[in-house]
Parts: sequence; C-alpha cells; structure tokens
Amino acid sequence: MDTSRLHRFLEKLNDYRGVIAFVVVFTLGIIFSPRALDTGLPIFLSWQTQLAILYEYSEYGLLATGMTLVILTGGIDLSVGSVLGLSAVLFSLLTIGYGWSVAPALGVVLLTGLTCGVINGSLIARFRMQPFVATLAMMTAARGAAKLVAGGIKVQPGGQPWYVMQSGTPPFFQWMTTALPGIGIQPSTLLFLLCILVMAALVRYTSYGRWLYAIGGNEEAARLSGIRVGAVKVLTYALCGMFAALAGVLNACRQDLGDTEAGMTYELDAIAAVVIGGTSLMGGRGGMMFTLIGVLIMAYINKILSLNAVELAPRMVIQGIIIAIAVLIQQKRGRS
Amino acid sequence: MKRIAIAVAFALLVVCAGCGKKQTEQASAPQGKKKWIIGMSQCNLGEPWRVQMNEDIKQAASQHADEIEVIFKDAQNKTEVQQAQVREFIQMGVDLIIISPKEARPLTQPVAEAYQKGIPVIVLDRKVEGDQYTCFIGADNVKIGREAGKYLVKLLGGKGKVVELKGLMTSTPGQERHKGFMEGIAGSQIEIIFDADCQWLEPIAQREMQSALARFPQIDAVYAHNDPSAHGAYLAARQEGKGREKTIKFIGIDALPHEGVRYVKEGILTATFEYPTGGKEAIETALKILKGEQVPKNITLGTRIFTKENVDKGGEPL
Repeated sequence: MDTSRLHRFLEKLNDYRGVIAFVVVFTLGIIFSPRALDTGLPIFLSWQTQLAILYEYSEYGLLATGMTLVILTGGIDLSVGSVLGLSAVLFSLLTIGYGWSVAPALGVVLLTGLTCGVINGSLIARFRMQPFVATLAMMTAARGAAKLVAGGIKVQPGGQPWYVMQSGTPPFFQWMTTALPGIGIQPSTLLFLLCILVMAALVRYTSYGRWLYAIGGNEEAARLSGIRVGAVKVLTYALCGMFAALAGVLNACRQDLGDTEAGMTYELDAIAAVVIGGTSLMGGRGGMMFTLIGVLIMAYINKILSLNAVELAPRMVIQGIIIAIAVLIQQKRGRS
Repeated sequence: MKRIAIAVAFALLVVCAGCGKKQTEQASAPQGKKKWIIGMSQCNLGEPWRVQMNEDIKQAASQHADEIEVIFKDAQNKTEVQQAQVREFIQMGVDLIIISPKEARPLTQPVAEAYQKGIPVIVLDRKVEGDQYTCFIGADNVKIGREAGKYLVKLLGGKGKVVELKGLMTSTPGQERHKGFMEGIAGSQIEIIFDADCQWLEPIAQREMQSALARFPQIDAVYAHNDPSAHGAYLAARQEGKGREKTIKFIGIDALPHEGVRYVKEGILTATFEYPTGGKEAIETALKILKGEQVPKNITLGTRIFTKENVDKGGEPL
C-alpha cells in the first residue's frame, strides 16, 4: 500500500522532471549571480535581467514552439535556422530595400516560411522521405536562398545604392525591440509568449493536438483510426515553417539588419530546448509548456555563464553536459 | 509517383551538370587577344569582409581589363575544396594564382606545387608555411589593436571602464587584436571590467553586452574586435532603454564600407579601424610580377581610422 503510493508519487514527480530541473537552474542562478555594484542585490533576480533573458531567447522560443509540434509527431525539422535566416533577409529587403510597409512584408515573409514548411511536409508525407533528410535539404536550400536574395551582403540601410532606406531602419524595427511603456516588456517577447500559449492551448484542447500525439505514438494506429496523417503532417511542418519565419522577423528587428547567416545552428538549440523540457524525440510524449520550461532552462544557463563572464571553452562544455543529463533523464523515463 | 520524382530529380541533375560544364569551358577559353589569366581562390564568401576582398579585386582588375582576367573560386570554407581549386588552376595553366587560404598547413603543399611549376602565387591575408610562394600580402592585427588602444586612451583621457567584446579567441586575429589592444592601453588607467568571446558574431555580442550592462552601472567604452560586434553592443545598450547608447563610446575594427564606415557616419560607432582586404594591392602586385618586375616577399598593409570628423574624406592613415 505504502510502496504503491510512493511509486505513484515518484511517477508524478517523473512527469515534472523538467520543472525540477528548472527550479534547480533558477536556484543556481541566484547562488552564482554577481551582485549589482550599486544595490548589492543579485543581478540574476532583477526584473530587468529576467526580461532580458526572455527577450534574448524569444527567437529560440518561437523556433522551439514549432519544433515541439513536429517532434510530437515523431519528426524533426532541421531547416528552421535557415528559414529564419531567409525570412530575416527577406523582411529586411522588402522593408529597407524596397520600402514596403510592414504589413505586406510580414505577409510575404510568413507565406514564405509557410511554403518552406509545406514543401518539407509534402516531401515527408507524400514522398515518404525521412524528416531528417527532407529538412536537411531544405536547410541547405533555404540558406542558399537567403544569400541569393540578399546578394551576398547583409541587408541594412545604405547596403546598396538603390535601397529605398539609406539611413535608419523603419520605426517598426525599434518598436519591436523597445520595452512598451507601462508594462516594460518588448513586443517581440510578448509575441513569443502569445504564440507559445496559443499553441499550448491548441495542443491540449483541440483534436489537432490529439492527432499529433496519436501520430507520434503510433502512426499506423493513427491512420487506421481515420486520422489523415499526411495532411496533419503537412500542416505541422507548415506551422513550424511559419514560426521560423516569425522568428526571422524578430531577428531582423533585434539586429537592426537582415543577416544571411542569421539562425545558423539555431535548429540545434531549438531541438535541445524541446528535449530538455522533456518532450520525447521518439514522438507522442511531452507538450508545449515543457518546451517553455526547456527554453527557460537553456536561457538561464546561458545567462548565468554570461553574467560571470565564463570563458567560451568551459561554457561550451557545461552546456553540453547539461543537455546530456537532460537526455539521460528522458531515457530513464522511457524505460520505467 | 515515386519513379516520376526520381526521374525529374535525375533530369535536373543532368541539366545542372551540363550547365556547370559549359560555364567553366567558357571561362577558360581565351577570347581574342591574349590576356593573362589569374586564378583567385577565396576560402569562403560567408563573411562580408571576404566578399569585399573579391569586390576589391574585381574593381582593381576591371581597370586593367585589357591585360588580365580573374577567375574566382569559392572554397566554401572547406580546406580540401581549396586544395583542389589550386590544383585545378595549375591544370588549367593559369598565369598567376591568388589565394586567401583557409588554413596554413594543408594549403602549403598545393601552393608549393604551383610555385615550383613556375606559376607565381600571391598569398592574401592568411599565410602558408615555408617560403614556396611568390609574395604574401597581409595586414597587421597587432598594430590595429594597438592603435585602437592608443586611441581609446586619448578618447577617455587616460582612464575609464571598458568592455572588450573579443573575436573567436582560438583564431589568430582574435588573439592579436587583443594583444595589440593591451599594448596600446598599457600604462594608462583604463580598466577592462568585462570581456567575452563573441566569436565575431553580432547576436552573441548583443547578448554578452546585455550581461555587462546588467552588471556595471558605469561603462565608458566598448572595444569590439569587429564592427558587427560593436554594432550589437550598441543595440544592446539602446534596447536596455536607459539611453546609455549615447554615453558609451563604441569602437570597432574592419571598417567595411557597408558596415563599420556607415555605422561611424550614423554616429553608432565612435571609431572603426580598417582591416584592409589587400584586394587592390594583390592585383597591383600581380601585374608587376606578370611584367617581370621584382616584388618584395612580404607586403604589410597599413590601417586607417574612421571617425565622424574624417569619415567623409575616406579615413586617416595611421
């Protein structure tokens, strides 16, 4: 009797390993935080630092949001970093180069991301390509497209003589990255939080969400139970592409230019965030709120190391170890 | 359906292969009057600075379009590709090779092969080992770092708190720009209160600068090893929302026309120091070699400083 209750308690605890890891990392942050020179309080705990952490990771967060959907189906999307780069360049080119207003530019960019995703999804669902291979191809192609579109340079005011904007980016760029008066949060952070909350609700409460888990759990069973597996997959990769495009817009605003190299290797950070949160790479297990926790854990680790000005080499080792531990925890859960 | 897809893919592949072949044939075919053919192997075109180098070479070569023709190859940051490119140039029988190597050691051998076959080789920016090449043209990162340090001492009146945003510290330019800077500020009361390895990347510089801003209420200047990092630091200060981007002096290196120089013009950076590409000098040297003139084995390029006062006059040589 007692042991079974304990067992149940442990099992419950198991589901929230991500949360526990989060609390541990947060505590470490407080312990190892340098103190502010003027007030003597831990910098890590300040509202400003917490906001900066969320802000700096909003791009990764958006990528991880899309990635969670894909990973829930048992797939993977390696192209998000490149799609981010393509979108950042395209958005900058349309607004800075051609002088478009923000709304149509945003529309075109999101549509581009969506198209990349649909191509990924179609290759996987229709042509039975492995997700790893299909999105690897897209990763290469989209990066090339970003360079083509930009003409090999960073897209910024005055970058080419024919650009409409010769000095200073459109006001939208600064608006996205400046804290809103009153609440003190940047619109780009809000956008990320909004997206992940909406998707969390979608995954939890709609039939689309249930289909994701069903496909990830057992694709054949999902098909037999009448789920249109192909269509769901295409939709999922399309959403993932669209979130990557949105992250690209954020990246352009944050850097105040469109960098063809933007988002290089971000796909790995996005995957890591999803996995650290506790969503299984095998598919069918996990959830969107786990990913939010995963993103925060990554962001906190980075911020603690950065605040203490830890050198690059040990920093990378520490990050690697933490990812490995997260995966180990996952494997344990899979066995039990 | 699957078969159709494979067939289409295969057809595309054949077409592409055909196109590629035609292009190279055209490029290597001599047109009319005999021109000197120069092969240029660039280690990668992912960095704006290297794009600028090719641009400078093109620009300089276009002024001697009746004498020379340059064939550009991009090694896409792969050593083995660059090795192959040098050997392709030898096979083609080009008159001169310009190479900006990715890595010294693995490219020493191919360069030596060309040199021993009587093809002059100009090595740009990064060295190869030994002396089996015709001429090396490069800039002096230690000097640039030192000039930046001396300038900062003057700018801050000999004392102040500085953040150093380094380039990749396992790379020679990063190490030298740091070493030179320390020499430049030696003896002053300038203190480096925070430093981070930003790997030349703007997003990382932006993040690291945020940490510096969070920790230190008083920062007088930022010394960044390249202009994008300085720009990232400026954006971090602006996005902090306390107006500190107006009081902190941002200093960068590289001074590319579309990057650093423009940032100085717009008042984002206080100063930037040119890291010359040597593209123009390479073509000038190539012409001398082809005409049988003697050239020095080592050519060290100077640097220029760009500030608000001199930016419209094209900077000031140091």
